[in-house]
Amino acid sequence: MDERIRKAFDQIRADEALKERTRASLARRQAGRRRALPGRLRTITVLACLALMLLTGWGGYQVYFTPTSIISIDVNPSVELGVNRFGRVVAVNGYNRDGEALAAALDVRFMDYAEALSRILDSEAFAAYEADGAIVLIAVLDADEARGGEMLARVESCTAGRQNTHCLADDMDAAQHAHEAGLSYGKYRAYLALRELDPSVTPDEVRDMSMRAIRDQIAALSDGNVTVQTGHTGGGQGKGYRHQARQGAG
Amino acid sequence: MRNEQEVNRAIEQYADTVRRLCMLYLKNHADTEDVFQTVFMKYLLHTEPFADDEHEKAWLIRVTINACKDVLKSFFRRRTVSLDEVLEQPALIAPDHREVLEAVLALPQKYRDVVYLHYYEGYAAPAIGRILGKNANTVYTLLGRARQQLRAKLGGEGDG
Repeated sequence: MDERIRKAFDQIRADEALKERTRASLARRQAGRRRALPGRLRTITVLACLALMLLTGWGGYQVYFTPTSIISIDVNPSVELGVNRFGRVVAVNGYNRDGEALAAALDVRFMDYAEALSRILDSEAFAAYEADGAIVLIAVLDADEARGGEMLARVESCTAGRQNTHCLADDMDAAQHAHEAGLSYGKYRAYLALRELDPSVTPDEVRDMSMRAIRDQIAALSDGNVTVQTGHTGGGQGKGYRHQARQGAG
Repeated sequence: MRNEQEVNRAIEQYADTVRRLCMLYLKNHADTEDVFQTVFMKYLLHTEPFADDEHEKAWLIRVTINACKDVLKSFFRRRTVSLDEVLEQPALIAPDHREVLEAVLALPQKYRDVVYLHYYEGYAAPAIGRILGKNANTVYTLLGRARQQLRAKLGGEGDG
């Protein structure tokens, strides 16, 4: 029986036509695979696309999250808002203890800068520092003078009607000098003014002083009759290309 | 991926084996052709080297049986065909062989491949077990029962 079974199976063969159709089919499918790019090239192409997507995504991220302007707010709290090219607040940095506390209390990221500024100025946290004739300095710092000027106009409209609030615009170099000293822009300008009268003063000493306290010290050192012109008292550092101040009873 | 020469050599060497396995499982020529293309496409894409010809053959048998089972599971396959279509060229098969093949194809599916692998390919039960993923003792049992049924139909004493 075994031999019968073996011989019977031996009758079954794959005919040449079946083999040929199989070969032809494989050739067609192989050609299709080749047209669809060889494996390695396909991998490289996919990786290149992924890299491009990542770079584009990273580029977009960089563009959006890189501040092109700074709005420096100094009372005693020293806070700076990083504003991107789209006018959105992308960073909130405190430059002293009160500034850090105020920055932590603020929720203005991704807001329009003028809207953010209004919210800060109207906030309860900010109001606490404004009492008793405090001096507020708001500076718009931008490498692009035209854009800085436009921003200053909007900032001024935000501060309209507020007493003892000074607004000015300057360039980014001035901000860089301030940051190198570990101070916000407004505090740095006040520090420079004070240092002209008292060369021994250090940035660390003024960091946590209020603008009012610095002004009072300047007044005392210059025989008590100095009007703080914070935008123009920089001892030659920082151009202060536009300045507007409204001074009230303080 | 293997080159064209390797695939052509495999087709020449193993096409008959694949064809016989298809006969055991499938009921029409279109399915057989599909299985041929599937099996040799897998061979084309199989890049791991085989230890020897026996290893390669066992791999092809396993792949063929799996491909046949996949076809059987397919919803779209044809359900019924005549034995003539299974054998394709019945006129070329001598009556004695035809009787044997009909007897084998009349066996339950689980007996057919062990009968083929044992009686035609010459594999012992443990090797069949490895190819089919079955316990060797199970294969012995299947072979014993298949032999009984074949003997009942075909007569004569088996020597395997």
